[in-house]
Amino acid sequence: MENKETAPDISAFLASAIHDMKNSISVLIRFLDDNITKLEPAAQREAAPMLYEVQRVNDNLLQMLAIYKVGNEFYPFDLAENSIGEFVREVADQNKSLLDYLGITLDIDCDEELYWYFDHELVAGVIAHALNNASHYTKDKLRLVAKEEDGELVMRVEDNGRGYPNQVLEAGDAVNKGVNFASGSTGLGLYFSSMVAKLHQNRGKTGSMQLENGGAFGGGCFILRLP
Amino acid sequence: MYEVKDTTPLFVGKNYLIVDDFQGMRSMMREMLRIFGGKNIDTATNANEAIAFMEKNRYDVVLCDYNLGTGKNGLQILEEGKYRNLIGLATAWIIITAEKTSDLVFGAAEHMPDDYIIKPVNEATMRSRLEKVLAKKAALVNVEQAVRAKNHALTVSLCDRLLATPQTNTAELLRIKTSTLMTMGHYDLASQVFNQILAKRDVPWAKTGLGKVAFLRGEMELAQQLFREVIRANPAYLEAHDWLAKTYESQGNLDEAQNVLARSVELSPTSVIRQRNLGEMAQKRGDLDTAANAFRKTIKLGEHSIHKAPSVYLNLARVCSDKGIPSEALQVLKNVSQEFESHEIRLHAKVLEGSVYSKSGDHNNALRLARELAAVTGSDSALPASVMLEATQLFLSTGNKEAADNMAQALVKNNHENASLLVQVGELYDQAGMHGKGEELITQSRQEVVESNNRAVMLAKEGKLDEAIQLLREARILLPNNKRIMVNLANVAVLAMRQNSVNDELMQIARDCLARVAELDPQEKWCGQVQAALDALSV
Repeated sequence: MENKETAPDISAFLASAIHDMKNSISVLIRFLDDNITKLEPAAQREAAPMLYEVQRVNDNLLQMLAIYKVGNEFYPFDLAENSIGEFVREVADQNKSLLDYLGITLDIDCDEELYWYFDHELVAGVIAHALNNASHYTKDKLRLVAKEEDGELVMRVEDNGRGYPNQVLEAGDAVNKGVNFASGSTGLGLYFSSMVAKLHQNRGKTGSMQLENGGAFGGGCFILRLP
Repeated sequence: MYEVKDTTPLFVGKNYLIVDDFQGMRSMMREMLRIFGGKNIDTATNANEAIAFMEKNRYDVVLCDYNLGTGKNGLQILEEGKYRNLIGLATAWIIITAEKTSDLVFGAAEHMPDDYIIKPVNEATMRSRLEKVLAKKAALVNVEQAVRAKNHALTVSLCDRLLATPQTNTAELLRIKTSTLMTMGHYDLASQVFNQILAKRDVPWAKTGLGKVAFLRGEMELAQQLFREVIRANPAYLEAHDWLAKTYESQGNLDEAQNVLARSVELSPTSVIRQRNLGEMAQKRGDLDTAANAFRKTIKLGEHSIHKAPSVYLNLARVCSDKGIPSEALQVLKNVSQEFESHEIRLHAKVLEGSVYSKSGDHNNALRLARELAAVTGSDSALPASVMLEATQLFLSTGNKEAADNMAQALVKNNHENASLLVQVGELYDQAGMHGKGEELITQSRQEVVESNNRAVMLAKEGKLDEAIQLLREARILLPNNKRIMVNLANVAVLAMRQNSVNDELMQIARDCLARVAELDPQEKWCGQVQAALDALSV
């Protein structure tokens, strides 16, 4: 046996740390939700950002873990057929309380009959993150669209805020072209969304992600296309 | 917006079990179930508690955390529950997990949970997933019953009937249907389904299915290509790894087979079976370090598992002995005798213990064990061939020629048509410096079996079926593992029953023989034909 100091195997801690953090986040979200519900509407609006922040911690954790696993070819990419109606309702339900407290309405426009192949966890992560983001920048309205266009599933998250600033639009374009010069959590979120889009391939076509201003409400508009 | 449907009736009157090591999660999930209308809710903090509950009660819904710290994980509890019939057809098993793993998503179909929910868990997701799973279980209960009863024709027709109606469970039904078709040997029909799916989309399980068909038809090049394509597109897809390793192995490319197995162990680090496969492959290739590590891990992982098996201990002892660590080999043999209460396994362990001493130069102990063994094994020839071979070697190396000859004769007579085994017996004698002695013994022993077998065949041809049966039954007592004798005995029994009438004693003998042959050699060619003739009699 050699007797030299070795760096600890961080991957051994990683799995149990993630396990713990996810439990804590579950309980934290539940606790906040339970208690904010009991407040008056004005106080709810004031307390809601706490829920937004916890949700952001969760988004970041999910994104980093997925990027790490995909990079090391460990991510169990589960291409399965999903009901679009059920999927959209599930994602919307997860964000419902935050939007209610903030007084934001969410319009849903989706094709109930449509089924599509994608990885549930990854795409739910992208859309939930887009909704959470939009809740921060919108005035009072959001719209979630999921429809088939030209043989692709197109999902949009639109808001009635002031729209993305130019540098974010440029960063969105760049990420799609394979460069990522945005920093901080904007960069992480964009990189993750683009990675998820590109993982989805079918018969020579590849998914894509796009940011633009406009849409039904004239604000920011996040678009995910899956073949 | 949308309305939350009141689905309380679905949740009322059901029995729930929650398994989680974290108190906060347990009480949170319990509270959710209460809101949905659940009343009978048990909670367990680990696998042992969960299994104790499952032994007492039948649960309709189990919410089970994946990572439960030490002991079994959520999938292993499910596996044991199914294996021991502690959970019914209608039990919905939902794994709650911090992260998606290959095991969870791409594991063996028969041990898959009905759904998995990734944390953080919230009330809305929990409610909608539970509704969906309960609806699916109800829709597929007949199909699952047919699957468990191994009624293949019924399974396929039930799947077809459901597939003809608008379905939310299409993918699941197609998977069950194709895997049943493959079990029935209807490769063409299974291929058709896979190709129809693949014409629309690159679905990994369908392409893996095509690969399996190619493998089973012996088209190894094609099989290899298909499995590799699946893995290129889905690097964490476990099933394709399992099959690609098998393909390489049957192509004789053991190096690549081991590489693929090593990768599948990385992807699925808690799988007992995959660790064992890696160990066996490395042992075959003489990669003793990898083999020893893999077997050690197999034993550790298998501690709480239904896959705990003595063969792994014995293999680890062999590898350690070959690696020159007799101390570990002896310890492992001591453990296996203690952990498995079986006369046969203790005998195996003793043979190996003797080999370990012999190999490490401890002649006194080797002699002692050889003497002990010679006293017990005398004419007992029902041991597996590999153990008999090792016992012969031990007797030869300790100079106990009489015991070696007895053992070798029993080995040859029980396996007189297994050419490669006979060569190994000859080599043992050559290595012991007794050139030609092995050949002599083999020729003589074989001749004896062939003669008594031929005599029986002649008697049968002359119509003296009773005499033939008598002779073969005597031979079978002496040679309990000889396949030829058993197949012939079953065959003559069938002829006799056809001539006279079906009789319980002969029926039982024929069935026992065929079952034993199938156990010894699942690929035996004659067995199927005789079995079919036997089945035709009982109609």
